[in-house]
Amino acid sequence: MKKEAISVKNLTYTYPDGTKALEDVSLEVYEGERIAIVGPNGAGKTTFLLHLNGILRGSDGQVEVFGKSVDKVKREEIIKEVGIVFQDPDDQLFMPTLFDDLAFGPINMGLKEGEVRERVEKTILSLGLTGYENRCPHHLSGGEKKKAALAAVMSMEPRILVLDEPTANLDPKSRAELIKIVKDLNEQEGITVIMATHDVNAVPALADRVFVLNKRVIAEGTVQEIFSDGALMKANNLGVPEVFKLFEVLRCFGYNCKELPLSIDEAIEHLTRTVEVNGGHIHLHIHEHTHDEVKKLRSKYEHH
Amino acid sequence: MIEYPEIDRYASLDSPLHQFDPRAKIIAFLFLIFSIVLLNDLKLVLIGFLVSILFLIASKLPLHFVIQHLKGVSLFIIPFLVIMPFTVKGNEIFSFYAIKVTYEGLRYGILVVLKAFSAVMLIFPMVATTKFETTLKALDKLKVPNILVQMLMFTYRYIFVFVNEFQRLLIAMESRGFKLGTSSYALRTIGNALGMLFVRSYERAERVYWAMRSRGYAGRQKTLVKFKMCTEDYVLAVFIIAFAVCLHVVCYAGVGVV
Repeated sequence: MKKEAISVKNLTYTYPDGTKALEDVSLEVYEGERIAIVGPNGAGKTTFLLHLNGILRGSDGQVEVFGKSVDKVKREEIIKEVGIVFQDPDDQLFMPTLFDDLAFGPINMGLKEGEVRERVEKTILSLGLTGYENRCPHHLSGGEKKKAALAAVMSMEPRILVLDEPTANLDPKSRAELIKIVKDLNEQEGITVIMATHDVNAVPALADRVFVLNKRVIAEGTVQEIFSDGALMKANNLGVPEVFKLFEVLRCFGYNCKELPLSIDEAIEHLTRTVEVNGGHIHLHIHEHTHDEVKKLRSKYEHH
Repeated sequence: MIEYPEIDRYASLDSPLHQFDPRAKIIAFLFLIFSIVLLNDLKLVLIGFLVSILFLIASKLPLHFVIQHLKGVSLFIIPFLVIMPFTVKGNEIFSFYAIKVTYEGLRYGILVVLKAFSAVMLIFPMVATTKFETTLKALDKLKVPNILVQMLMFTYRYIFVFVNEFQRLLIAMESRGFKLGTSSYALRTIGNALGMLFVRSYERAERVYWAMRSRGYAGRQKTLVKFKMCTEDYVLAVFIIAFAVCLHVVCYAGVGVV
């Protein structure tokens, strides 16, 4: 039996102006898991994440972190376990230098100076930020800022990492770097990852399970299950990875695959396997129904 | 492009004042500034003024950088020189109908201007020769109330974000045909943009506060910093403070003799 890292039960949150942001949200996240929360703009994703470490509290429902109710224990207990990386690094990096920012959390945790320095050093090393210690945030690029924001949270060594739009506004290289860092943190240190994102192409790399959130939990499943549900995607303003779509098109042309690949790596693997099985080549064809199927497919992913 | 208000742009130069321990630097120069400002003898103030220039030269800060900052300050200081001679009562130097220029007024005006410029010029070796964050940490170490240090720190951190944000707003407005000017339309539009900036700052402040609480902020901000006073620091600090004290000793002695 896997250990529950986070358990949310019947969480309901209403904005001060009366609009409902979250309605009866319940979900479980297990230790070491990687979760993606997807949903349209204004679906309450950020609001939901802010409940996970008790920044927003007093709402109806219950949030438990490793069995401890967020409402009942001190916030310091929770923030040690749950680190949140905000969407805009400028919100997160508020100290004059990177070093101070990385030290901010550990100092607040009451660690001794030597320990704080040790943690900062370790984090800087593991996130490849060596040489940036004394830089001020306004002299960092967007990608560096994002990494720095992540580092500022990781120096507290949380067991659960919560990311709000981790890949937004990053160039492809910074984006790939960030994905790799998060992946490594999960694989090597067993950190539970929960991220809210619109970047569908990052979901397969960073998530085992996906929740579709639109004020309520609309659906839950593996990445494959969620992306395969075209109607669900469309109803919630979501998209699927381009590779996934391409193989769906190929399927219309007679390519045989049950599980559509979600990433380039999976696609290569899939193609290689198919070619090997079919004696060195792939067979595609156009039948009468091919055009209809392609047409249907296009309308499935068109947002109006 | 709008220029960043970077007071510590030249903090990485190398001069005796750059290497001066930040804590000692702040105390010594504050001492000197107050000492000069509290003087009432024109000759001694003139000496203080010249010494301020010497410190400025010793700090190796580029002249254009200093002048750029002094320009703004002059706007507030120079009027004293113009107004004082006409308003202070005393011995007339010359009069033109009802307007009288007095010796006391002129002396007073020069006194104020010299003092003010000395004080401002001494701010440069004090603040511009250290990275601003180091100055803040020094202030914290000097037991300046933490809330003040935090306010300074946030101002310093977010002024750049706001400058950027306002610049983005302005560029977005200009790319839709807006021209910066003094027409009532332009002013109104700028007013709206500033209002927008305030709203954004408010929202940002909330998010920053969330981020801070997420990392355990509970009202006090502590930083780790290592300062070490060496012999040179003591010598320089003692020298500056001694000089500041001397000015006043001479002043009192002078008054006593005369």
